[in-house]
Amino acid sequence: MAASKAPAGHFSILYFAAASTFTSKATEHLSAPVEARDLFSKLEALYPGIKDKVLNSCAVTVNLTYIDIYGDEAPDLEMVIKEGDEVAIIPPVSSG
Amino acid sequence: MASETVIGSLRQQIATCESQLQDLKRQLAEVEHQSQQRRTNLALEQGVHTIDDPLAFDFSHGIHDDFKSEVLAALAQPEETTPPQRRWPLEANEYKRYGRQLIMPEIGLQGQLRLKNASVLIVGVGGLGCPAAAYLVGAGVGKVGLVDGDTVEESNLHRQILHSTAKVNMTKVESAMIALHSLNPNVELVPHQGRLTPETALSTLQPYDIVLDCTDTPASRYLISDSCVLLGKPLISASALRTDGQLMVLNNPPLPPGNTSGGPCYRCVFPKPPPAESVVTCGDGGILGPVVGTMGTLQALEAIKVLTKQPSASLNDPAPVDHPFLLIFSAYSSPMFRTIRLRTRKLKCAVCSAHATLTPEALNSGSMDYVQFCGTVGPIDALSSNERISAENYAKVRLNVNPFTGSEPSKDSHILVDVREKVQFDLCNLEGSVNVPFSAVTSLPVGARNGRANESNPEAVWVSELRQHADKPIFVVCRRGNDSQFTVKKMKELGLDNGGQRWIGDIRGGLLAWRDNVDREFPEY
Repeated sequence: MAASKAPAGHFSILYFAAASTFTSKATEHLSAPVEARDLFSKLEALYPGIKDKVLNSCAVTVNLTYIDIYGDEAPDLEMVIKEGDEVAIIPPVSSG
Repeated sequence: MASETVIGSLRQQIATCESQLQDLKRQLAEVEHQSQQRRTNLALEQGVHTIDDPLAFDFSHGIHDDFKSEVLAALAQPEETTPPQRRWPLEANEYKRYGRQLIMPEIGLQGQLRLKNASVLIVGVGGLGCPAAAYLVGAGVGKVGLVDGDTVEESNLHRQILHSTAKVNMTKVESAMIALHSLNPNVELVPHQGRLTPETALSTLQPYDIVLDCTDTPASRYLISDSCVLLGKPLISASALRTDGQLMVLNNPPLPPGNTSGGPCYRCVFPKPPPAESVVTCGDGGILGPVVGTMGTLQALEAIKVLTKQPSASLNDPAPVDHPFLLIFSAYSSPMFRTIRLRTRKLKCAVCSAHATLTPEALNSGSMDYVQFCGTVGPIDALSSNERISAENYAKVRLNVNPFTGSEPSKDSHILVDVREKVQFDLCNLEGSVNVPFSAVTSLPVGARNGRANESNPEAVWVSELRQHADKPIFVVCRRGNDSQFTVKKMKELGLDNGGQRWIGDIRGGLLAWRDNVDREFPEY
């Protein structure tokens, strides 16, 4: 899933494991900017059901750094995902 | 059969003897060590009295004090660095065995001695635990504990490299002990038969320096992480499914809960478990041997790095703190590896923050229900009994008469829909069955029932094909009998049953039941 460079006004998003299964995609480009607090609802609109089934238990990263948007007082809710950023949706993998 | 019993009993005896031998060796080593220490102490005591020689006179009376202390210090030096009882800190065979890693600056003599004095607990001796254990035992970790409650199955062998064909049905712990002992008899192996539970976790983990989570369920991942925080142990956690893997070094440094300089725990990264029905096992999702092997190997590597880490030389120059990370391995992507920088401990983590609520007492008492926290999926029972047919009765349908509709025999009398994914359908299928992959069923929009095909919203090909034969009953089959029930419901939502005029139902227990009760030659995978 080498994310091709996002076109102007977009960011790249990578879907791993269960997120990739749910969206049937490894990567895509979405329009920027997006406030981190709105990321999940934006994805829910694209993929109905994904929030409860996948996103709520996922780790989210922006440019290879973990962001904390879990709960109403999470520190990174106001962070802005900008044009050209790379977001990753990382569900926990538990088998082994 | 008889020879198998003999083989089993001989294996049992060998295992028992080996563990006795192991124990005797350990006892011998202890006694030897004690007697050497006694000799050393004796020599030191005698040494005090041997200054009674001609030189001693000069030292006491004729030499400047500064010079005297320097000379004494120089003379005393060899006594301290090379204890008289042993010339070399490692055994002769250890220099040879570990030579290739000993000559690396990352390990060296001090690193090897740290490994030798260290103990590691490996929870789960499967696809992750086998390679992890092999490399750690190979590297000369002093003591390795193994936890597992399973027995070896044939379907494990393509990836669980310590187990072998002859050891199918043996416990995984026993099988691994045999393989590891023959790999490196210098390592003390400790068996912990059975699954880790909240009640046993703390006492099992307590004696070890570091823990490897090589398990396969969300519940065990939270349990092990919580226990490591409570006990102050670094945790190396890995997982793998299909072509993907994840690796984290957690609770490192293992500082007490509330200390913000400590490493994050599993809950800091994944505070909420995935919904139980979305959790896919290797048995259902598949796993490629080298993928899980890579992750287990990386766990061994990280364990060696943590164990051999050199302490800071001085207070002014503290050892660099390793930044916490999450490594994502994706075998069919480019790049294959991505390293994600993690945050420090979460300010409100329920286990490792200042707001932590978990206590050792709560864990030991069993009041923490990890299985409930992660949710469970009971056997699915979504259909009524007249929407289901047993494998035996379906076999009669294929040969005789449909017990529900009374229609004529022959395979053409009905439609058999197999909802396994195409790759599984291609492995083996029942003659005349039609493949509609379950992913195609679930991806149909929920509101599709009202939307008969129209120009802007064309109907899926498989749905319209099934509509064309409105008179034939539809039997749905899958691997185990869960997805088939969901599919029957979906087909009825789509109106394929013509308002109840056409029978649609599933084959109870799926192809597994077909194999068990009808056709023993149907492949099991």
